[in-house]
Amino acid sequence: MGFPHKSHPKETVVLSQYFGDADARTIKGWTKRGGYEALAQALTMDPVAVTDVVKESGLRGRGGAGFPTGLKWSFMPKEKTRPHYLCVNADESEPGTFKDREIMRWTPHALLEGTAIAAHAIRAEIAYIYIRGEFTEPWTIMERALADGNAAGVFGSIKIHLHRGAGAYICGEETALMNSIEGKRGNPRIKPPFPAAAGLFGLPTTINNVETLAAVPHILKRGAAWYKGLSLSNPKSTGTKLFSVCGHVQRPGNYEVTMGFPLKDLLYDMCGGPPAGRTLKACIPGGSSVPILTREETEACLLDYEGVVERGSMLGSGGVIVFDDSADMVYQIMRLARFYAHESCAQCTQCREGTAWTTKIMERILAGQGKPKDLDLLLDLSENMTGKTICVLSDSCAAPIVSGIKKFRGEFEAYLAGKRQPVMVG
Amino acid sequence: MADGMITLTIDGAPVTVPAGTLVIEAAKQAGVLVPHYCYHPGLAVAGVCRMCLVEVEKAPKLQIACATTVTEGMVVKTQSAQAKDARQSVLEFLLINHPLDCPICDQAGECELQDFVFQEGQAGTRFAEFAKRFNPVEDFGPDVLYVPNRCILCTRCVRFMEDVAKEPVLNVSERGDRAFIGIHPEARLDHPWAGNVVDLCPVGSLLSKDFLHKARAWELDKTASICTGCSQGCSITLDTRDDVVVRVRPRPNLDVNRYFICDHGRMHYRWMNRGDRIEAPLIRHDGELRAVDWDEALDRVVGILRGASGKAVALVSPGASSEALAAAKRLLSGFHWTGAFQVVMGEEAPLAGVPNLALRSERAPNAKGAEQLGYTRDYAPALAAAKTAAVVLVLDDPDCTVETNGALIYLGTVLGENAPCRSADVVLPITNVAEEEGTFVNRDGREQRYFQAKPAPAMAQSAAWVLGELAQAIGLAEVS
Amino acid sequence: MTVTEDYQPVFTGKVLDELQTVLQRYPNKQAALLPTLWLAQRELGWISDRIMAEVAELLGLTPAYVKGVVTFYTMYHQHPVGKNFVQVCTTSPCNICGAEEVLKALLQHSGAGDAGATSPDGKWTIVEVECLGACGFPTPILVNDDFVENVTPEKVPDIVKKYR
Repeated sequence: MGFPHKSHPKETVVLSQYFGDADARTIKGWTKRGGYEALAQALTMDPVAVTDVVKESGLRGRGGAGFPTGLKWSFMPKEKTRPHYLCVNADESEPGTFKDREIMRWTPHALLEGTAIAAHAIRAEIAYIYIRGEFTEPWTIMERALADGNAAGVFGSIKIHLHRGAGAYICGEETALMNSIEGKRGNPRIKPPFPAAAGLFGLPTTINNVETLAAVPHILKRGAAWYKGLSLSNPKSTGTKLFSVCGHVQRPGNYEVTMGFPLKDLLYDMCGGPPAGRTLKACIPGGSSVPILTREETEACLLDYEGVVERGSMLGSGGVIVFDDSADMVYQIMRLARFYAHESCAQCTQCREGTAWTTKIMERILAGQGKPKDLDLLLDLSENMTGKTICVLSDSCAAPIVSGIKKFRGEFEAYLAGKRQPVMVG
Repeated sequence: MADGMITLTIDGAPVTVPAGTLVIEAAKQAGVLVPHYCYHPGLAVAGVCRMCLVEVEKAPKLQIACATTVTEGMVVKTQSAQAKDARQSVLEFLLINHPLDCPICDQAGECELQDFVFQEGQAGTRFAEFAKRFNPVEDFGPDVLYVPNRCILCTRCVRFMEDVAKEPVLNVSERGDRAFIGIHPEARLDHPWAGNVVDLCPVGSLLSKDFLHKARAWELDKTASICTGCSQGCSITLDTRDDVVVRVRPRPNLDVNRYFICDHGRMHYRWMNRGDRIEAPLIRHDGELRAVDWDEALDRVVGILRGASGKAVALVSPGASSEALAAAKRLLSGFHWTGAFQVVMGEEAPLAGVPNLALRSERAPNAKGAEQLGYTRDYAPALAAAKTAAVVLVLDDPDCTVETNGALIYLGTVLGENAPCRSADVVLPITNVAEEEGTFVNRDGREQRYFQAKPAPAMAQSAAWVLGELAQAIGLAEVS
Repeated sequence: MTVTEDYQPVFTGKVLDELQTVLQRYPNKQAALLPTLWLAQRELGWISDRIMAEVAELLGLTPAYVKGVVTFYTMYHQHPVGKNFVQVCTTSPCNICGAEEVLKALLQHSGAGDAGATSPDGKWTIVEVECLGACGFPTPILVNDDFVENVTPEKVPDIVKKYR
């Protein structure tokens, strides 16, 4: 449901069923609504069997990468000789994305239940839920729910701990997240080794997103076939997804739809489209790190992993940022570049220097001092920043630059030609 | 792929290396240096500078050679257009904030940034009209200065202190392009091995105050030597400029000191340049020491030795070469011989991350060599015995307080006005470790050779030569 | 650094007990660093060099190491801040919904003047931050630990009054 709005008839309500229902946060309220039955069932199953169900369902990582979840779980060592860890990525910081926050503050037990099931499936004794430092309300709610769950003994032998982040987008990268839990700077690690081989504290680890794990109890309860059946377009994309719609729409919020749902219907029918008198100009469908779509591409786009790729972007985290014709694309792309420059961890040369340089050039263009070669320079820098670093923050900075210049070149050229009032950026 | 060896192709050349070898190391065997900054064989792999990106056939993206292990049949191209473009872009990114300090930067001439930019960088910058990031110079400790503007954040220094010295006093502070190497006000960079960060720094960001603005890298002659600071026997390079030792740096030796030396050894070179040397051989004539030529001096010694019998005591420095020590003993083989030395002691300071490597408490390079030749540490008894000895030979021990009724022959580099050995009958000027070739035996029994870095001053000769000539003159058979 | 002023250790009594509980959640002391720093900031209001040294000693780390971690994460204050520390998101999704006007209004009404500066009465420090993960409720702000959604310039005077 697009809290605080009521669920739209076209939504497929699974994860968001109790958004806005304060009683569902309590353990009593949750169990009354059928909660923790899936976990109880899972704990009686062989871990491999649990993994097989999730594999069969086609669930894919909802944090942004879209990697098949069951397959990821199966990367953990077959023979258990050492402790295993599960990390839950609640560091939600991708601009445009705000779904995990809702899951945590309305259905904390859904997350805890999914965490415990996953921990069982990968034979992890301990699970850390890494919650970004700014999520003070979800933190308090999760703390309470965890205490209640422990008191009721629903997690079996699995220990779940909350770990608070302290202001770093890059800690949403799975290896940086592990470093942060270990008490280090949130630097991503080079791979190999992969987490399943050597992760948290050097031990086999799986990292999953909040929304991914919230789906797991439903899959266990209602069956893989049910989840698999929820697919409107490409059969490789199954289930429902919470799309966080924000920006220039009349009814921003989270909307839960079946994979393959038309983006056009989401934006216009459910969200009411842009404010009265304005037209949709651009849309970033998967959080700021994916290419920007034009209006035509947006209106033709189907919301599943393959469908968005077909339009030239990616589903990513499902953070849908909408720009109408009043938006200054050049300014907003500058602001995104600045976001990446702030968040770069500083390890890789291309990212550390490139994100800052890109931002400077964008600011110069906005200030009316852009040079004719600046667009080519930006594109060249973006290419040098893509595919050459430890993690993809560098590539993510390049995405809005490359797609922005390609599809909104006129706006850039207006600044370069002095046809637009310069904007002095602070 | 038999017996754990892997064969791969690097720039068209076949290379066979043990399984587990990194591509960057395998490339060395093909004669290929993959440009890099953050990688160092003495440190854990970081993979952050991104300079060593190479093309690997069948891999979708460029791979960093420092973190890629060889596989059978792998085909690596370091000179493909893609790889070169990637390196050129890394250099460009590094140079946007790196100041054009070469004219005033100590690293010039031995700077890896200069080297690779010259080799494959761009001629001009595209970072026009933006201000470079500026931070003031910081004093990190007793010898190390940090110039943040030049830093390329390779983190070698941080990794050295954390993983090798095991004292994490350096950190990376802040994030993004605001990042710099930081310390904490409560700690200085005064670890006994901290000076290595200056060597490790690929650019002129970490500098030695001792060497600051002293010489240009291309003015230096480099000579392989062994450190005389203690009994560890680290391999070093003596850098000389106009025949003056201006700097000591470690020389890689995987068996002893790997890539490092301690600060004590690093700073232990000024004495090699002392100007107050004994200029010429001296013999006692009418109660005074008079300068003579070598022939006359050696004749005098031969005369003394031929005319003496009974006890001979040799008081030697544990810093003398094995050749000199052996020759001294042989020279006195016709006597009832006692040989002894004393070693200055100090506090031991291990380099925790390297096995069997420390600044040793015995602050001399050849105590073991002396022991092997029969010299003992019973110095006080030897000193006492010298009183009634017929001949006392003092080798490179300027503060020796020996008194004797017999003849005193002094071989040394210096002899102060008021030194006890001013009473010697013969004073022979010898070379120091930088002015001769010789052998030291370290505490583990390892024989290591050092070489001549600068000419002998005035009429000095190596002690080994002097004692060898004397032995021959007396008629002792050659040592086989 | 010689401690010339009288430094009162923070991790004593109840706070030390809390630290013991934190330590139980991790297999080694280093991993407890982030939560320990949160405790330190809660008690002291910010993370000083001196408290970094105290934390380092408690966890078997060096002060320099702790400082490297502190300076990485933006939510640890490296200097004292006003009574109300306000974080305003201005990243693009909020930016196109008026975030910068909200920031300006806050700076004006609070008397802080410039972003990052503390107001003369010591009650406000307001900073621009990156995406707060509530893009559908523009503009979200944090006033200390209170997460306030849907802030507009019109609502700012009341907010300032409430927290002053």
